[in-house]
Amino acid sequence: MSNDFYQLSILPYAAILIKICRAYTSSQEDFEDYYQEVCLQVYRSRESFREQCKWSTWVYRISLNVCLTLLKKKQRNGQIYFTSDVLPETSSAQNSAFESEPLNQLYAAIRRLSEVDRALIILYLEEKPYQEIADILGTSANNIAVRINRIKERLKKIMDEKFN
Amino acid sequence: MKNSIEAIWKEGFLNESTLVAPRINDLYNQKSMHVVDRMKRMFRINLVVMLVMSVIFPVMYYFLGVLWQGLAASLLLLATAWYTRRQMASIGTLDQGATSFDYLSSVDRWLKEVLLKNEKIVRFLYPLYFLIAISTIWSTFNRPRGVAWSLQQKYPHSILVDNLSMLALIVGAVGTLGMFYFSRKIYRFDLRLMFGGVFRKLKSTIAEMEELRGANSLTR
Repeated sequence: MSNDFYQLSILPYAAILIKICRAYTSSQEDFEDYYQEVCLQVYRSRESFREQCKWSTWVYRISLNVCLTLLKKKQRNGQIYFTSDVLPETSSAQNSAFESEPLNQLYAAIRRLSEVDRALIILYLEEKPYQEIADILGTSANNIAVRINRIKERLKKIMDEKFN
Repeated sequence: MKNSIEAIWKEGFLNESTLVAPRINDLYNQKSMHVVDRMKRMFRINLVVMLVMSVIFPVMYYFLGVLWQGLAASLLLLATAWYTRRQMASIGTLDQGATSFDYLSSVDRWLKEVLLKNEKIVRFLYPLYFLIAISTIWSTFNRPRGVAWSLQQKYPHSILVDNLSMLALIVGAVGTLGMFYFSRKIYRFDLRLMFGGVFRKLKSTIAEMEELRGANSLTR
């Protein structure tokens, strides 16, 4: 991967990539592995980009696909240590942004959602327009709002039960 | 819950510059461990299979009435297993404190050296296995009223050397020489069959890491 490619095509989206990878991992090692794989896949698929969507949409789509694939692989290998009933350790990433307790609690709750719902809520929290979310997830924009409301309700419920 | 999830998110990521992207070159620790672990696991399985076969062979051959050949095959398998065990132990001497790339590169070098040594050994090992197999077949054929006896009856003028059919001797000799000559190719085919996947994974991981070395120290 060339320096230029990383600097220009990945680094501007690093923040959201970090946030996405964090939603699918519960340890620093996994987080770094997922981020690595995302960068690599973005680099590899750069020639398949046909400019039918924004580059950022392409990057997010790849990052979600990579995270889902890696998560499925881990689940198959029995390497997921938490179930929906048990919240994982939260403060794992060596980022000062992740020192905020409420944020870590929110992440712990997000990890209890289904794989697609995790993607949806993160893109929503990143204030992506519904149409872009739909483009990234390959779905229609019509039911995004309804679904997001349901996810928000569920998150609130999880956080109330677990942390209050 | 005091704040809405949107507020928690916004406050948590108030300053996005505090988000630190992992350094790309340091990220392969887990992946490299997986590859090497998988390779070790396959070597171990291979070793166990050899040990089990070395027990089964004498018993099986005993019931076929060719105990000596069974013992010879068992001995050869045990020797091969002992040698494999020694090779497996030597992987532990590789420096794991180095970077993932250096570690995987040293595993790759180790593997190449091992395969090179093994190619030399199988030049003699495969013909030996072949001779044991031929001897087993011949012994079972050579029983009273067996296949060899029937052939002798059918072709009474065939040449015998020390009570052995000349044709069988020629087949055995050609086969043994063939095994000696093609041992490398057979060994490589054998390896591809058993370890092909994990070897390819090792190579592709190293290639990926080499590719990423260009992005070194960029992600902070």
